[in-house]
Parts: sequence; C-alpha cells; structure tokens
Amino acid sequence: MRIGKNPAKDGLPAYTPHRLGVALIVYIPFTEGYFENSLEIFHYQLASLRAATAETFDLLVFDNGSCPQAVSALQELYDHRQIDWLILSAHNMGKAGAWNWIFASMPNQLICYADSDVLFRPGWLEASLEVLDAFPRAGMIGAQPNFYDVMAGEGKAQDALKDDENYALGEYWPDKEIIDEYCLGIGASDDLSEQFRNSPLPAITEQKTRIQAVIGASHMQFLIPRDVAREVIPLPSTKGLLRKETMSIDYKTDALGYLHLSTQKSYVFHMGNTVNERLIEEVERITGSPTAAAPTQKRAQWKESNAQRWMTSLAKRPRFQRLFLRAYNVLFRALYSEALEK
Amino acid sequence: MRVGQNPAKSIDTVPQPARVTVAVVTYIPFLSGYYKQSLDVLKACLRSIWENTSLPYDLLVFDNASCDEVRDYLSVEQSQKHIQYLVLSDKNMGKGGAWNIIFQAAAGEFVAYTDSDIRFYPGWLSDSLAILDAFPQAGMVTARPMRTPEAFYTHTLEWARSQPDVSLENGRYIPWEVYLQHVLSLGTSEEQAREWYESRSDWRLTRHGVKALIGAAHFQFTARKSTLQQFLPFSMDRPMGQVRSLDEQINQAGYLRLTTCEPLVMHMGNRLPDSAADMPVTPTDRSNRLVDIPLIRKPLLWLYDRIFKLYYQ
Repeated sequence: MRIGKNPAKDGLPAYTPHRLGVALIVYIPFTEGYFENSLEIFHYQLASLRAATAETFDLLVFDNGSCPQAVSALQELYDHRQIDWLILSAHNMGKAGAWNWIFASMPNQLICYADSDVLFRPGWLEASLEVLDAFPRAGMIGAQPNFYDVMAGEGKAQDALKDDENYALGEYWPDKEIIDEYCLGIGASDDLSEQFRNSPLPAITEQKTRIQAVIGASHMQFLIPRDVAREVIPLPSTKGLLRKETMSIDYKTDALGYLHLSTQKSYVFHMGNTVNERLIEEVERITGSPTAAAPTQKRAQWKESNAQRWMTSLAKRPRFQRLFLRAYNVLFRALYSEALEK
Repeated sequence: MRVGQNPAKSIDTVPQPARVTVAVVTYIPFLSGYYKQSLDVLKACLRSIWENTSLPYDLLVFDNASCDEVRDYLSVEQSQKHIQYLVLSDKNMGKGGAWNIIFQAAAGEFVAYTDSDIRFYPGWLSDSLAILDAFPQAGMVTARPMRTPEAFYTHTLEWARSQPDVSLENGRYIPWEVYLQHVLSLGTSEEQAREWYESRSDWRLTRHGVKALIGAAHFQFTARKSTLQQFLPFSMDRPMGQVRSLDEQINQAGYLRLTTCEPLVMHMGNRLPDSAADMPVTPTDRSNRLVDIPLIRKPLLWLYDRIFKLYYQ
C-alpha cells in the first residue's frame, strides 16, 4: 500500500528539452574484425560533436543490440552525463527500425541524426540551419555535399520550385579536397572517384539571400525538423541494414514534398571503421585537446609466422577467397544475428 | 575511412515487434523515506509481468532519472534480455514526458501501460485484450474493477445505452473485499472506504458474451497505440499530477473507459505486500545459445577477426 505522499507530486518542474536533439545509432556486436576500432571512433565522434556544436543539445544514443563491452561503455558515458537518453535494445531492429523509435520519441524541435562513425566540424549546425532558413521546405539537410543520389534522379520535391522566381536550379562544382575526402570516407574506387570529379552536383539557390545548397542528402548524417520526422515514420524494418529500407526515408520525404539538401562544404566526415594519424590530428584540432583521453583500443599485433604467410597467400586465391568470405559472414551471423535465434 | 563490408548488411531478418508493448515508467530518485522499498516493489512488478503474461509482448522500461541502484538493476535485466527496450533518461521528463516518448515509440499495436508499483496476475493481458476486441470503441481498459468519478465515463454510459447489442446493467458487481483492497492501497481508511462503497453502484456491459465494468484508471491500462497517439503531447511541466487529462480526454473524445470484472492487477504503492516477497522469479533466459559459451565463442571470434584482417587490412 501507499504510505505518505509521493514527493514527485509536489509540483517539482520536469525537464524541458532543448531545441536541438542529436540522435546516434550504435551497433557494435563485438570488438573484433570490422568493429575493432568502433568504440574508439564513437568516442571521437562524441568529442567532436560536443566541441563543434554551437548550442546546447540533448543527446540520444540508441544502442541497436551491441555486445556487453559496447553497452557497458555507453552506460559509463550515461553515468558521466555525456548522454541524456540511452536506449538499449535487446535486438538489432535494423537502422530503419531504430529510426522509427528515434523520430517518434525525440521531443526536440530539430533532430540531427548521425551514424556512430561521423566526425563533426565547427559550423555544421550553423550551415545546416542557414539552409533550413533559406529553404523552409527542406526535410533532410546533410552537412556534407551529397555525391550519391540514392533516388537515382527520381526525386521530385525540387520540381515544385522550378517555376518559383525565388529559387534557381543550377550546378555546383565542389573543390577537389571535398571530393577526395568524400571518396576517402567511403573507400571509393579510382573509377568512382574520377566520376565524382567530372560531374557537377545539382544545386539550388535562394535568390534573395544567394544561399546555395546541394540537392540531395545522405543517410549518414542529416538534420530533420521533428514535424517532418513524425510524418515519415513508420519506415519498413525487416532487415539489419537493407538499402531499400533505409532509402524509404528518402522516398517518403520526397513524396511529402520536402527537399533533400546538403551544405556546399564538408562539415562532417565519415570516419568509417579505421583510425589513422590524420583523423587523430583532426580530432585534436576540433576538440583542442589530445585524444589520449579517449579509451585506447587493444590493438592486436599479428606477427606473421610462416603459417600465416601461407594462409595469406592461400586467401588470395579466388576459390579460397570465396570460402573465407563466406565463413566470415557465417561466423558473424552465428556469433550475433538475432535471426538465427528465431 | 571504411575498410571492408559492414557485416550488419548480411543480417537477413530483424525481430519484428510483438503485438503488445508492455510499458513501465520508473522514477525512484533514492532508496530512503517514501522510496525506501520502491526498488523491491519495482522488482515485484516486473517479476509479476514476466510470470503472468501468457501472450507475446515486448517489455519497454522507461527510467525517468532514477538512482544508480535502480538503473543498475534495470541494466542487468536488460543485458539478460528480460527487458527488450530500456530507455534511460538522465532528466526526469515527468510522467507526461515519458508517455510522450512511449506512446509514440512503442512498436506494438497495443500499449499496456503500468506504473512501476503494480502487481500482475495471470490472465491480465488476455482479459484486457478480449475487452478491447469485443468493444472496438474502448479507449482504455484497466485490469481491475474500480470506481472512478462519473465525469470520466459519461460517454461510455451514453454509448452503452444507444447500442442494441450491448446489455447495460447497474448493480453492485465489485465485491467489497476487492474494492477495499484497492482503496486501502491508496492510503484511505476502511471507514471511508465503507462509506464510499455503500453510496455508489457499478455499471456492467456485456457484448458478444464479453463482460466489462465501466471505469479505468491511468495507473495501469491497455489501449490501442493509435488511440493514445491522438492525445499527444501531454504537458511536461511537472513530474506528476498532470496525466489525469488522459482520463478526461479519452471520455471527451467519445472512447469507452472500461475495466475487467476480475481484479487482475493490484496497486502495491510504496510498500511491498507480504505475499509479493515470496513470488517466484526468473523469466526465461533467451540467451542460452551454444555460441555464447566462452570456450566456443572465443575461438570463433578469433577466426572471424583473422579472416577480416586477411582481406581488409
């Protein structure tokens, strides 16, 4: 039975969310192989986000069924008040499934989504807001020029502005450094890089302010007004990272008449799953402090023995390559995939 | 930069949400005074859900900035997959703020909401869903018969009187013991309870053979998510005391407010009832796969790591 009065009923104020909420999805099923550096990279992301964001924000981290080490690291960050809302999902709900959660639940007026391997640079928010102010129908605003049109030219929202004298459609040629960095981030082949260098990006200019934005936005990082986010959900979610499902956000946003736009400069960078000196230097530049504070990952030293040399040469043969890569995927699924439990 | 292919792309299917999301909001800022037994009460609440929910469900716990001990307990239960979704909030968003998140984000078609001081008994969910199925206009169904202010069920009465296939009866359908148990749990005296009990009666509806009493309360209820979403957002100004608007709005919007005929939940308050301490525990452990045995997992992880390095580093 209840004895006494619940002190919470005494009119204490509840928390009021900030205008900006940042949401990150983390999925680190183990700390080996592809994911060996993922926790370290996530720490760099948080450090850069804090240092590069000009206004106070609420941070939501959605853990999509990571391993205990990763969850424990997230809980430590939460305990140290580095995370405002930590959602721990027992299963991997897929990226679209996690978006359904995030977009439905975040109370902030503006939501910035980012994968857990994105580096933020100073000015990302200001540049994104500038685009949002100039283009009120902007639905998703990326802070890096978008090079890859996921809708393959099927996007129609910008067509509505073709005859609007306040806007002018045109082209934008990004600097070589921007293209090179983008290509580095995604590990693009030489052919693909060349293709990016030789093609301009579609752009739109708001005539009064002369603010220009690239047409298109990536799933890696974007700013989305809460009202738009609420309109696009629910997104289909049946697989871990199926392109068709993550792309449904683009088609829905476009169908609702909202624009996909991105900034002309790169204010975010895809760190991926590797750490190198260049990255560490940039993190130090952004945060203004040495990265030694970030937890250092145990880096396994693989000294090549004769047997390993033999294995390496074997692995180069197409037949064995197929076999090993198949084993790699089978092992991943056996070690982690929820699907096998069903 | 990215090296290698993200193995997440090879996940063929992800678990689909259950039809029902059972959602619990916790707020236990410290373990003394009013909250001295609150962690034990919370444990009893969750144990009774695990024990007595026979239909498939996902359990979502929203922790509204509780103390370390509570968070640690919830984290352990989540790591053992007894809680499917654990939301830890560093700030107290208020019950309304937590509802704003839960009712938007819950993946199920139905949300079974409960405060963290409620004990559940077998059949609570199936009986609640049976009422929601038999009365599609039902806005919320509480799994315990109770009397609520008439102002909260005016539309339910109106609707019942206008339906030819609904039988509406007035009488004393809540046994005195059932009534007393709940009223005492709220800190009311037995004398006062007797006075209230004698002065009022109950309304009972029957449709397609399914019986329900008129009532419902916001401490525990099952509802369609689509219904609840119509009333969002709730005010977040204060931690508690503003959620009664749900009761009013459900009625004003023309939805029915109903309860089961049997007491299938019990309000424990901030003191553990004697019988709850002896309740058997332990939900099914869902993580007993062969590959989770360290002796097997470690070499497999080593092999996975080696293959990754062979091709991608």
